[in-house]
Amino acid sequence: MLSRIADSLYWLARYIERAEETARILDVNYHMMLEQSYQSSRLRWDPLVAMAGEEQRFRQFYSEATSRAVFEFLAFRSDNPSSVLQCISKARENARTIRDRISREMWEDINGLFHSVFRFNPQQEITAGPHRFCETVRFGSHRFHGVAEATLPHDEGWQFLKIGWFLERAEMTARLVDVQYQNLLEASRETDGTDSHLWMAVLKSVGAYEIYRRQYHSPIEPEKVAEMLILHPQFPRSIRFSITEVQSALREISGSVAGSYANEAERLTGKVLESLCYDKIEDIFNHGLRSHLSSLLKMCLAIDEDIARTYFYYAVVA
Amino acid sequence: MPAGVREPGLFASYDLGKFYDEMFSAPGVPRPHYAKIFRKLATTATAEFEERRQLADLSFLLQGITFTVYNDGRGTERLFPFDLIPRIIPHSEWDRIERGLTQRVVALNHFLKDVYCPQLILKDRQISRSLVYSCKHFRREMIGVKVPRGIYTHISGIDLVRDSKTGELLVLEDNVRTPSGISYVLENRLVMTRTFPDAFQAYEVLPVNHYPAELAEILRSLSPRGEGNAQVVLLTPGIYNSAYFEHCFLAQQMGVELVEGRDLIVDGGIVYMKTIHGLQRVDVIYRRVDDEYLDPLAFDPSSLLGVPGLMGAYRAGNVALANAIGNGVVDDKAVYSYVPTFIRYYLGEEPILRNVETYVCSRPQDLAQVLDRLPELVVKSVGESGGYGMLIGPTAKKDRISEMRQRIKADPRNYIAQPVIGLSRVPSYHASAGRMAGRHVDLRPYCLYNGDKVMIVPGGLTRVALQPDSMVVNSSQGGGSKDTWVLRGED
Repeated sequence: MLSRIADSLYWLARYIERAEETARILDVNYHMMLEQSYQSSRLRWDPLVAMAGEEQRFRQFYSEATSRAVFEFLAFRSDNPSSVLQCISKARENARTIRDRISREMWEDINGLFHSVFRFNPQQEITAGPHRFCETVRFGSHRFHGVAEATLPHDEGWQFLKIGWFLERAEMTARLVDVQYQNLLEASRETDGTDSHLWMAVLKSVGAYEIYRRQYHSPIEPEKVAEMLILHPQFPRSIRFSITEVQSALREISGSVAGSYANEAERLTGKVLESLCYDKIEDIFNHGLRSHLSSLLKMCLAIDEDIARTYFYYAVVA
Repeated sequence: MPAGVREPGLFASYDLGKFYDEMFSAPGVPRPHYAKIFRKLATTATAEFEERRQLADLSFLLQGITFTVYNDGRGTERLFPFDLIPRIIPHSEWDRIERGLTQRVVALNHFLKDVYCPQLILKDRQISRSLVYSCKHFRREMIGVKVPRGIYTHISGIDLVRDSKTGELLVLEDNVRTPSGISYVLENRLVMTRTFPDAFQAYEVLPVNHYPAELAEILRSLSPRGEGNAQVVLLTPGIYNSAYFEHCFLAQQMGVELVEGRDLIVDGGIVYMKTIHGLQRVDVIYRRVDDEYLDPLAFDPSSLLGVPGLMGAYRAGNVALANAIGNGVVDDKAVYSYVPTFIRYYLGEEPILRNVETYVCSRPQDLAQVLDRLPELVVKSVGESGGYGMLIGPTAKKDRISEMRQRIKADPRNYIAQPVIGLSRVPSYHASAGRMAGRHVDLRPYCLYNGDKVMIVPGGLTRVALQPDSMVVNSSQGGGSKDTWVLRGED
């Protein structure tokens, strides 16, 4: 497989995943507000912008992080490279450069998603609320996974697609936990304790509510929500699950077996995964959730860089 | 519709004009090979037709079958307009076209092989050395290079037009560098069978979809390491090229790697591609990058699309290129006028398909004629394609004509002139009027040459000038295309 194609598959998947996660978070934040309108002033929108790493750019266009402003910025703006539309556009652009290597169905699917999200009228959607838009993106992403799974040969290209999906998902889940934890903790400090509705909304945003209920049979507690999103071995949006998938895809490509590694990316993945498998949530809270998550994010970045070094770039020309 | 009820329908006030109409021999009288589809269309309500047309458009959009236009600042993709009325060719006529093209392709290959090696034709003074050497796309670097299996013109697209005056199909130009459009032939057929399945049931239409397999076979046969070891790639300039869709399409259909210049590297005279598991040798390159950008060491040093050292690897016989480098010499419109001479010289045959009568301005007697009759001729720049650098005398403004006169005088070698050919027309849907109107067409068949025989996909790309009265069929100038049917029989 050409390095450039592996690179494009990886980014195609990352951008789709990022679009989906951004849409999920927008949707849930918006609905938290609706359900808790009396304290909406305390729930803030700006952490969402921080999550996308676009605070500076945001401030160029808006004076205040209102729901309208954040929705417009994160969903539609063409001058925000992390907006949902831009992510989908870049995903499609990556798909276009490798259309000969992905299945025709995959191309038609991503091309169709591109056309359907660009048909939305931003001003109308901003007034109507983000749900319709976000749902289109979420299901578009799900459908793309399904189409890819069912039509792309499960060869190396498929593994790069998986790495892209799951590395992005791990990072986004880490950011989600981080941001919402701060957001909700601050909100609850100012009111009379934890509001389980808000935590319920966080769970729902990653489709984890029902699983949580089955797992814990207890009222919703922030620590357990964090445990579920970080350490759950089977929940497909947990960080542990995502990193497990990254590891298995990396091993499929290099052929290395459990207990060994063929490159730096595999070594780091193994290391991260080990702590995710054996750490308890209490340990994580004792060491500080924020610092734990931020070192996790740093590791993800290092894994990303090393994948590129190993597989994508030919630094030394013969 | 019950017999006897006559409704104007899609062909209401259809005007044959003074042109040859591919569907009708006289007003309301279809030619035998169009009779069945005419009856079908004549009884189709406009609304139903419109519905099918939209279905076809949507299908093209969703598949992303687009070409790129650059002048709107965004380099956006546009649909290549597709018209649902097919261009139909009866078998006997196709048979003649096929023989004529085969003869032409073989002669062109002979000429290229000769002009870059023994140059017998120049020594026999059938064409002047100065004319050949002054071609923009003549490549001195190719003189003496032995190309794999002696094939230069693996893929040619030869444009034919029908002269309304005589009804004869003439060759308008040869494209033996990197002709594009075959993907539209295959996609048009696919969309057509989806949108108008009933039309196919009435006819026996020859299939076209074997083209990629035939091309792949020819490419593999060129491998310097033998067919068993042929690593074939398609070299594209990248996603910003207007034919990028086609490059992807062909690579996918042939099952070969689609590469850009940056994916390849030459080391020790061998071409490799960069894969996730290291360098892998490449044997055959179907390149859709023009000669001048192929190798910055041999040609344009500023090219980022090419592969440094590629020419060296080619010359050493370590990699095969299709088409060969230097083919552009026969795309030159002045050299074109000598193709009948090539056919007689190399094959000892009379050309089956004639050229459009051409005045070569570098010949003094032709030049005098051209300057004399400028307002009635079409003037073309020899090295341009896509309808650029052209003057159509009868419709041009006076100052444009005198401007062209000066340019021709200043550089006669750069121009040829031809009488205006009234291209034949095919009924095409005129959406805003909701009915059919005659639109001018040409035909580009695609010929594959494996050194022994020429394989031509039945039909080819029919391009249609969708603007009323326009004769310019190029996609860059508002042209569209039609599905082209070659029938197994006569109707």
